[in-house]
Amino acid sequence: MGKVMSMKEAIERHVHNGQFLFIGGYICRTPFAAIHEILRQKKKDLTITRSNAADDFDMMIGAGAVSRFISTFLSLGVYGLGRCYRRSIEKGIPHRIELEEYTNLSLPMMLMAGAMGMPFVPVKDMVGTDLLNIKSFMGEGKYKIIESPFDGTRTVLVPALKPDLAIIHVQQADKHGNAQMWGIGGDCKVGANAAKKVIVSCERLVSRETVGKDPSRTIVPDFKVVAVVEEPFGAHPGYTPGFYDVDFAFGSLYQKSSDTVQGFENFMNEWVYGIADRTAYTQHYIERFGYGAFKKLQAGFDYGYPVSYAY
Amino acid sequence: MSAHPTDYIKPELMACCGAREISDGDVVIVGTGFPAMAANIAKYTHAPNAALMQESGVYDARPLRPALSVGDPCLNPGAAMIAGLVEVIGMFLQGGWVDVGFLAGSQVDKYGNINTTVIGDYKNPKSRLPGSGGANPIGSLAKKVLIIALHDRRRLAERVDFMTTPGYIDGPGSREKWGLPPQTGPKVIITNKAVLGFDTLTKEAYLQTYHPGTSVDEVVKLTPWDLKVADDVHETEPPREEELKVMREILDPHRMIRIYESRGYV
Repeated sequence: MGKVMSMKEAIERHVHNGQFLFIGGYICRTPFAAIHEILRQKKKDLTITRSNAADDFDMMIGAGAVSRFISTFLSLGVYGLGRCYRRSIEKGIPHRIELEEYTNLSLPMMLMAGAMGMPFVPVKDMVGTDLLNIKSFMGEGKYKIIESPFDGTRTVLVPALKPDLAIIHVQQADKHGNAQMWGIGGDCKVGANAAKKVIVSCERLVSRETVGKDPSRTIVPDFKVVAVVEEPFGAHPGYTPGFYDVDFAFGSLYQKSSDTVQGFENFMNEWVYGIADRTAYTQHYIERFGYGAFKKLQAGFDYGYPVSYAY
Repeated sequence: MSAHPTDYIKPELMACCGAREISDGDVVIVGTGFPAMAANIAKYTHAPNAALMQESGVYDARPLRPALSVGDPCLNPGAAMIAGLVEVIGMFLQGGWVDVGFLAGSQVDKYGNINTTVIGDYKNPKSRLPGSGGANPIGSLAKKVLIIALHDRRRLAERVDFMTTPGYIDGPGSREKWGLPPQTGPKVIITNKAVLGFDTLTKEAYLQTYHPGTSVDEVVKLTPWDLKVADDVHETEPPREEELKVMREILDPHRMIRIYESRGYV
């Protein structure tokens, strides 16, 4: 059976309560279409991870889908602290999530170890700080300090992470799942490859031949991929290089809405629960803000020179 | 001798203080806001060969607008290299290639330790902050760390509520004891009132220069530890004409840096 399917099908089939998910994106290429579908389907008790989380993780926490978060950071960028994240940690609304805290060095290294099938990896950070004094659901397995068997120096080891599923949004993929990305990567490549399986959301489906014209851009090979979803505008209000810019006005709307529980619920009803899919979302966006606002986000064209792989 | 216009705002002065800490040829990890501004001022003035990178994976970006985050799309076109966290933080920073790192702290203590995790008790916080992100590895591994902070008795502390990022930890010998690389650690704390250096023996932050409009007494009063004062303490050099020109004409023509005034950097 083919891997190309709707987001509804992909999430129904592959996201289950209690799973451990890597969700790619670094403001760029946030798989928002997938996240909205996860929330519409009321998935629960998820463990989520990524370095530098933002509005998407804040929303999942606010919607009550998350139990545990292997984290390094969460904020709304220029719009300040994550409101739902704060309410969860400070007031237990809708419930208090459990946090296991690392850094933007250690977490990508843990994902890299997972991707490479290594049990753990040494990292040079975190020592001497309170990050080593806090342990949550990973307990004593959060890290170990050993004397290096090579030179006796004190060395921090952190465990490999192997998420059940990764969800990433990229520029293009073929129907088999070969996923091609360009621009800022964050921890997307290691996170996707650490997971046991991958859902690829993409701006456009392309042929296998197109992929083969520039194969160095592929970050996940098809054999890891279980679903491919063509989802134009799928990272909004985040951006996708070559397709559309960050929507700062929408970021501000989310921040203002999520300032209160009621505001957050209204936002979710309008933009997630009351919306069927990404096409309906995009239509609603245009109805609400006008085609001009939508058009303004669209990227111009600035093509590179084609590269040749000939020999 | 360069001219010193008087119509500058405090965030511009602070950006210049940061720029002056960068030497030509330095490899610099920058964030957004002050750090990006400071690093670029240096690049356009005395340090044209400084090499700038963002932790998100970008090296030598050529943005056409000020980046609003380290993941901003304007960092993509024109960069010399784009990869990800494993490359920039894992290879370049952890590999020991980064000379200068910039960090901002919600709370900074006398040893240059930084808290961006929580105000109050960790398990029962008054305010939950974003967390480490790239701050801890930058503070652990960059050779020279420049810290940006607001100068009051709440933002500066004798001891941070939570140590997210190491400065000199508990004082002399701490970084060495924990096995952090030699010749790394905080160099200065640049505040809206002063520039604090770190004593080579005690590792405590002391008053190096005070900004125009304030005084040694005021800075000492606004600092919650017994702030030592350098023998040669003097007024901070205001922004030079060429520095302001670079900021206002090239880097930030819309003067977005003004938003820092509303955040208390006055």
